[in-house]
Amino acid sequence: MTLLEIAKLAAGLATRHGAGEASAGAWRSRQVEVAWRDGRLEKIAEATTRGLGLDLYVDGRYAAVSTSDLRPAALERFVIESVALARAISPDPHRRLPDPALYQGRADEAALELADPAYDAVDAPTRRRLAEALEVAAREVPGAGRVLSVSTSVSDTQGEAALVHTNGFEGWRRSTAFWMGAEMTVQDPDGRRPEESAATGSRFFGALEAPEAVGRRAAERAHSRLGAVKGASGLVTLVVEPRAAGRLVGALLGPMTAGALQQKRSFLEGLAGQAIASPLLDLTDDPLLRRGFGSRSYDGEGLAARPRRLVEAGVLREYYVDCYYGRKLGLAPTTGRPSNLSWRLGQKGRDALVADVGEGVLVTGFLGGNSNSTTGDFSLGVRGFAIRGGRLAEPIGEMNVSGDQLTLWRRLAAVGDDPYPYAALRTPTLVFEGVQLAGT
Amino acid sequence: MTSFDRFGVTERLIRETLAAALSRGGDFADLFFEHAVGSDLGLEDGAVNRAYASVSLGVGVRVLKGDQTGYGYTEDLSLPAMLECARTAAAIADGPARDAPLAFHVRRDLPSRYPLERAWDQVPPEERLPLLAGLNERAFAADARVRKVNVHLRSEATSVLVADSTGRLAEDSQPMTVLSLSVLAEQGGRREQNGYNVAGRAGLEFYTPERLGRVVREAVARTAVLFEAGAPPAGELPVVLAAGSSGILLHEAIGHGMEADFNRKGTSIYADKIGKVVARPFVNIVDDATGAGARGSINVDDEGNAAGVTHLVRDGVLATYLHDAISARHYGVSPTGNGRRESYRHPPLPRMRSTYMLPGPHRKEEIIASVKRGLYCQNFSNGQVNIGAGDFTFYVKNGWLIEDGKLTRPVKDVNIIGNGPKALEQVDMVADDLEIDEGGWTCGKDGQSVPVSQGLPTVRVASLTVGGRGR
Repeated sequence: MTLLEIAKLAAGLATRHGAGEASAGAWRSRQVEVAWRDGRLEKIAEATTRGLGLDLYVDGRYAAVSTSDLRPAALERFVIESVALARAISPDPHRRLPDPALYQGRADEAALELADPAYDAVDAPTRRRLAEALEVAAREVPGAGRVLSVSTSVSDTQGEAALVHTNGFEGWRRSTAFWMGAEMTVQDPDGRRPEESAATGSRFFGALEAPEAVGRRAAERAHSRLGAVKGASGLVTLVVEPRAAGRLVGALLGPMTAGALQQKRSFLEGLAGQAIASPLLDLTDDPLLRRGFGSRSYDGEGLAARPRRLVEAGVLREYYVDCYYGRKLGLAPTTGRPSNLSWRLGQKGRDALVADVGEGVLVTGFLGGNSNSTTGDFSLGVRGFAIRGGRLAEPIGEMNVSGDQLTLWRRLAAVGDDPYPYAALRTPTLVFEGVQLAGT
Repeated sequence: MTSFDRFGVTERLIRETLAAALSRGGDFADLFFEHAVGSDLGLEDGAVNRAYASVSLGVGVRVLKGDQTGYGYTEDLSLPAMLECARTAAAIADGPARDAPLAFHVRRDLPSRYPLERAWDQVPPEERLPLLAGLNERAFAADARVRKVNVHLRSEATSVLVADSTGRLAEDSQPMTVLSLSVLAEQGGRREQNGYNVAGRAGLEFYTPERLGRVVREAVARTAVLFEAGAPPAGELPVVLAAGSSGILLHEAIGHGMEADFNRKGTSIYADKIGKVVARPFVNIVDDATGAGARGSINVDDEGNAAGVTHLVRDGVLATYLHDAISARHYGVSPTGNGRRESYRHPPLPRMRSTYMLPGPHRKEEIIASVKRGLYCQNFSNGQVNIGAGDFTFYVKNGWLIEDGKLTRPVKDVNIIGNGPKALEQVDMVADDLEIDEGGWTCGKDGQSVPVSQGLPTVRVASLTVGGRGR
C-alpha cells in the first residue's frame, strides 16, 4: 500500500468506528548513519521506519493518537480504542478540522526542491570516504599533538509522508536531507579537554560543503578554545555568531504562538502593531524557500503555506495562529508552527562586525539556560571570545548573559549579511549593545 | 501473557535473527524488543478536553565487533524484515560467521522494584479523569491570583525483551507515570507562571491524597512567590543547594562526565581520574537503579545486565564510571547496569539512573548561616554540560538571596554556570537531609531521552558564577 492509501484507510476506519471527522498522517523514512572515530569505523546504523498519526473528532471531543503497529487487525483495534478514549473526555467546541477554504492555493511542492532525485546514488563507500576525509582534514590543522580525539559522522534520511482529512484535504510529500560533521577534543595543559564541532547539511547531496572545509573548521574551532578564561562581569556589546544566534530568536517564536497568547503565557501578548525590537529587525516566516529545511507547501493542519511577515522594522505584525487557538481567540488562522525565517540582512559579515564593535564579546555557543515565555526574562550560559581593538582576543567560557527579551531586541545594533545555512532559522550575525554578562 | 506472545515472536525467530547478525563475524549481538503504550490526558481551561495515545512496537538489532557497533531496527517483526535488519547491523564486521546460541535461558534472578496493582493499560480513562479535575479546582481555590491551570497526566506501560548471542534472555515490564500541574497567576498587571510535577514507576495508587495535596501546594506557592522575586546579582557567589532536585548539580557537574563512553574515547574531563581525590572526604555520590518505584529505577538495563548501586565518588575519591557492555569490556570490568536506550530505535549508551549524594556531617541551618552573601537554590528546570571542557549549567526557577546568614528575598529565572571538577572541589559543606526528588526528570544524550531521578542533601558550593544582573 502507498502511504496515501494507508492514510485513507485509517481515516476511513476512524469514521466507520464513530469519528465524525478525522485527519490521518502516514509516514515512512529511511535513516542511515556512519560514525567514524580516530581512524576507524565507530558505528553504522540503518533503518526504514514508519508510523501513523490520527486526529479524531468524536461527538465534539478530540483525541490525537499514533502507532507504529500497522498490522491490519492491530490497526483496527487501535482505532476502536482511540475512539473510545475520545468519548471518555469532555467536549471542546473549538475542535474540528480546518475550513477547507484554507487548503486552497497550495504552492507546487516540486518547485520547493525538497528531495534530491539522486538520493539512491549515495552509497556506503561514499559515506565512509567522507567520514574519513573529515577526520584527515581536521588532523591536518596545526596543533595535532594536542588532539585527543576526532569523531565524525555522515548521515542521510529520505522521508515520505501523506496527510488526509475527511473534509477534503489530501497531501503527499517526499524529502531528503544529508548531514556530515566533525567534532574534535583537544588537551588543555590544565586538564580540561575542550571540544568543538562543525557541520554541513543540505537537502541535496551535491550542495554539501566539502569535507575538507568542515573538518578544518571543526579543528580550528577546537584549537581556539585552549586556555579559555572567565572574564569580568559587566555590561558589554555582544556579537553573536550565526550558528549560535538561533538560540536567541528561537525564544521569540514560542511567545508568538496563539497557544501561548490564549494561555496568557506570552510576553508578546497585546503588542501587535507595536515596536518590540530595534528597527533593524525584519522577520518573515518563509515556508516556500527553495531547499529550505523548514520548507513546505502545506502545514501540519493542511493549510496552504505562504510567507508571513512577523516583524517589520521592529514592529510586531503577526502571530503564529493555528486553527484551534485561533478559534479560541477569534483570530484568523495563519499557520501554527514556524517554517524557515528570512531576515533583512545587513552589509557585513561576522569579522567586519567584530571590527566595528571594537570592544565586547563574541558568543560562539550557548550552554543551558532558559527564557521565560511569560515574562521574557532569560539567563543563558555562553562561551566565545573577548573582543579587543576590533579583533578576537582570548577565549572565554563559564560565563552567562541575562536580561529580558524586549530590552535585548530593542538593543539590536546590527544584523550581519551571513545567514546560517544549516538551520531553518537562518540566523545572521547579531550585535546587541548593553547586555549583562556574568563572570568573575 | 508472556513476552513472546506480546511480540508475536518465537525462540526460533530470535535464533535465526541472531545467526544473521553474526553472519559476518561480529563478536556479540543482541535483539531488543519493545512494546510501549503511552496515554496522556490534558486539562486546559477547566476541562479534560484532549487525550493522546501512542503505541510503539519494534525491535532493534545490534552487532558489536570490539567497540564498533552495527545497528538496525524495524517495526515489522516478521522473519524476512528482521533478517534484513540483522544483515545491515552485521556489516560492522567483516569475517567468517559465528554461531548463534542453540538455546536461551531466561533470567529469573531479577528484582521487582516497581510492582503494580494494575498496569496502566488496564486503567480506563474514566478512572484517571477525576485526578485532573480535582487538581484544577484546588489550584484555583488555593490563590485568588490564579488565572490559568493546566494539568497533564501521562501513563505508560512498556514491555521489553532482550535476547543476546550468549543465549541470555531478560524481560521486564516498566510502568511510568507523570502528573504535572502548571499555574499562571496575575497580580497588578504582572503575570508569573510555574508548576510542580511528580513521577514514578508506579500505578494509579501513586496518587495518594497526600501527594496530590503537595502537587497543588507546591505549584501555587512556587508561582505566587515569583511576584516578590527579582534577579540576583551577577558574578561569583557562594551557592547553597536545597535538598532534593538540586541533584541536577551532580547530574551535570559529574554524572555525564563519568559515563564511560566519553572516558573510553578520552573526551571527558574525568578521563584518567579514577582513584584520584576529586572532593572532600565527606562527599559520596552514587548512581542507583534500586529505589522502589523511582522514575530512574530499573530492574535490568536495556542490555539485560543487572542494575544496582554504582559509586561514582567514594569518600571524595573517584571510584567507578557508569558502564554499558562496550565500555565494561574495554576497561575489563563488570557492567554496572547503565546501558540504557530511549527505544528500539536506538542502541544503548552508558546513562544515569537515579543520581544523588549521600548525607554528610553538616546541618541545613548551619550551612545557610555560614554564608555572608550568596544564593540559595530551590527549584530547577533544566541543565547542560560540555563533557570535555567541563563547563556545566543549571537553571534556577526559585531561590533566595542569602545575606548575613539569612534568606532575605526571593529570586527567579537565573542560570548558574560552573566547571565540573572545580565545583566538586568546592563542595565544602554537606548536610544530613538527603532527599530524592519526586519530579519527572528526563536526560538527553546523543538524541536519546531516558527517565532519570536525582537527589541531594543541602550542600554548599563555595563559588559558582550566577547569571544575574548588576552587582
